[in-house]
Amino acid sequence: MSDKNISKKIKIEDVTSLPLELESQQKASKEKIGSVTEGKLTLYDRQKRNVERFHELLRKKMTRQLASSMVACVHCGMCAESCHYCLSRPDDPQMTPVYKADQIRRIFKKHIDWTGRVFPKWVKAGSPVTDEDLNHLKNIVFGTCSACRRCTFNCPMGVDTALLIRFARGILTDLGIVPEGVFNVSRDQWETGNQMAVTEEDYLETLDWMKEELQEELDNPDIDIPIDTEDCDFMYTINPREIKFDPRSISHAAKIFHFADEKWTMPKWGWDQTNFGLFSGDDKLGAYVAKNVYEAAERLRAKRIVISECGHGYRSTRWEGYNWAEYDQNIPAESVILTLMRYIQNGRIKVNPAKNSEPVTFHDSCNIARSGGLLEEPRWVLNKVCSDYREMSPNRRENFCCAGGGGLLSMAEYKPLRMEVAKIKADQLKATGAKLVCTICHNCVDGLTDLIKHYDLDMKVVQVLELVSHALVV
Amino acid sequence: MSDILYFLENKVQIVALSFLLFVYILRIFWLFRFKSRKEQSYSEGNATACIAHSMLNVAMPWAMESIRKKPFFYIQFILFHMGVIFAIAATFIIPYGPQLFNIQAVVWIFQFIVGMAFIVGMFRLYRRFANPSIRLISSRDDYFSLILMIFYFGVAFLAIPNNYHRSEWPLILFFALTAFFLIYVPFSKIGHYLYYPFTRFFLGRTMGHRGVYAKRKKCRYPEGL
Amino acid sequence: MPELEIKGKKIDLNEDGFLQNPEEWDDEVAKALAKAEEGIENMSEDHWAVVNYIREYYLDKNLAPMVRKVCKNSGFTLKYIFELFPSGPAKGACKVAGLPKPDGCV
Ligand code: SF4
Ligand code: SF4
Repeated sequence: MSDKNISKKIKIEDVTSLPLELESQQKASKEKIGSVTEGKLTLYDRQKRNVERFHELLRKKMTRQLASSMVACVHCGMCAESCHYCLSRPDDPQMTPVYKADQIRRIFKKHIDWTGRVFPKWVKAGSPVTDEDLNHLKNIVFGTCSACRRCTFNCPMGVDTALLIRFARGILTDLGIVPEGVFNVSRDQWETGNQMAVTEEDYLETLDWMKEELQEELDNPDIDIPIDTEDCDFMYTINPREIKFDPRSISHAAKIFHFADEKWTMPKWGWDQTNFGLFSGDDKLGAYVAKNVYEAAERLRAKRIVISECGHGYRSTRWEGYNWAEYDQNIPAESVILTLMRYIQNGRIKVNPAKNSEPVTFHDSCNIARSGGLLEEPRWVLNKVCSDYREMSPNRRENFCCAGGGGLLSMAEYKPLRMEVAKIKADQLKATGAKLVCTICHNCVDGLTDLIKHYDLDMKVVQVLELVSHALVV
Repeated sequence: MSDILYFLENKVQIVALSFLLFVYILRIFWLFRFKSRKEQSYSEGNATACIAHSMLNVAMPWAMESIRKKPFFYIQFILFHMGVIFAIAATFIIPYGPQLFNIQAVVWIFQFIVGMAFIVGMFRLYRRFANPSIRLISSRDDYFSLILMIFYFGVAFLAIPNNYHRSEWPLILFFALTAFFLIYVPFSKIGHYLYYPFTRFFLGRTMGHRGVYAKRKKCRYPEGL
Repeated sequence: MPELEIKGKKIDLNEDGFLQNPEEWDDEVAKALAKAEEGIENMSEDHWAVVNYIREYYLDKNLAPMVRKVCKNSGFTLKYIFELFPSGPAKGACKVAGLPKPDGCV
């Protein structure tokens, strides 16, 4: 049965009442996996006073940034205009960013703010009472928001709703009250250092395989994907999805680097630039994964870290990771888009836009545009390698989320709602009239592919590396 | 002028104002008690420029899509907050510079603005009740603050001509309300303007640091990189 | 919960279209999944080669094989695998082979 038939109009109660799934947690507990015994990954335990611990964590993790966003909201409702959940479900009052944020704000008001502690009813302050309430909160912060930050940019008061959502997620992660998918991915990243539990053997063999294919394709036995080479111009880091499911992007990159005559390497360890800590709100995991990358670059004395096409990976590795890990940046880090731009600018590679003649549009990933600052660079590259580029509207900082952000792709239970609210994005895509939609995020690739299928659009998702590699003149 | 009005216009007003300032200072200290995170990555933008940009957001109706889509809300916002400024100005003009309200045109301007704010307030109240999304998030404080403001604008409208020899009660009510306000505000949503610089500063700093706005041509690496 | 109906028998799928209970898989289920999820009207011999390999690997090791193993084993190029299964090996081939949803951002 296809997706089209499964999601008519979803009742929001069906989403917010989804139970806490514990199968994987029980398995992890039985197997006594390292990350659990070492206390990195928390399992849900109904015996522990979870509500009280929630309040303690709320207090402990509070920062000035968060506190100001907690107190500044005036309940004006302007943010409702910007959220793809609201715009796709205008009749559902529980979709507004402010409603979602209020679910955590009310607890802040009740326990930390002033008026709410004395007159809770007056300011709608309140507190979870049972673990069931926490589960309800889990469904709201994980299931009804993709943390895209669009509302943040549209709030007259400058309230960072997406930051509040991530904060709530982080506390719930510390209590083990998370969707099963979030638990699984966190477990894998703690256990294996990468999101998809790719073993070192699989990693190395896949790279080797890509190398062989490339050597064959170009009929050149000298082409290499260097591993752990020291003193290179840059260290290339990737998304494990590229190893596990679609290594074509690695071969595109290797091909371009080869023609640019680049001195590059991939690390044996610390190659995963993605970071599930961004989605789960777990700064500890965020710190661990980011540090792996930074330390690998230091170990190899690489002059630069290059991050492959990935939205949350770019945001985590380039920006947030240093703060999570409390690590002063000492080596430049950049998206591969910048690397490509330099190659084209300096004439290190030659490209012919006529080779990509199909109409192509660009989807800005939330984490790269709104939260990452790469706005013009991808467009610059696309205009060099495509002959029919069409802008999407709205775009850049105002682009809509692919609807699969915030880790939602790993949480199947929320998919029907995700597909319903992807309508905004589908309409936006359709209006461009393009045949290809290009994005620089693997997460968006899957999010967009899902919605293209769901809404039966005549489109294909591509990435910049693929287009550049295709446009190469050798 | 009766003693009670004199007392309200001067002593009570000053005491209430001092109280407000005192609570605000406490409140700012309270906010500063929470730790702030510093950025440890290299910047790609101009954080200072972006903070300025972010702070000026109120004056840039084109900067946000939500406002571009609903320009009427911006007009409302301006009228409502102008009403607040003019009403507060009146609370100082009446005791300390009443000559100004001898000029009929000034009185009309003040009355016009406060009157418009009154109408906007009514509209906002209607919206708060009628729009299910807004109703769901509204607290008693939201309703009460808004009704209070509407009432305040109404009273200010009547008090501004400053005709205490004809009838004193609008003035008494106006100054009594002002005093109540000054004490209530720091504990309610009306004090939001105190937080605006904070949220805007943080947002501006983060976005400026990352070059989401005010991007530098070249990432500024430390010397030698 | 979405379902798949095959000859009167109902099979539960998860929200992503993966089998809820991987044990329920058989050739008929595979065909129905291929049609519904991947738009494959007729499973060719090559389709079956990929699907059967993934299935066996899964039953043996309880996890999905790396795409490299699939290619090496079937002798197909990566490009050809994507032609066979437009959603790619993870969301396409593994789904048809009746594997549960893989973890991670896919
Ligand atoms: S736009 Fe900002 S202030 Fe207004 S309700 Fe939304 S979060 Fe609150
Ligand atoms: S972050 Fe995005 S999805 Fe979440 S509430 Fe804001 S606009 Fe909606």
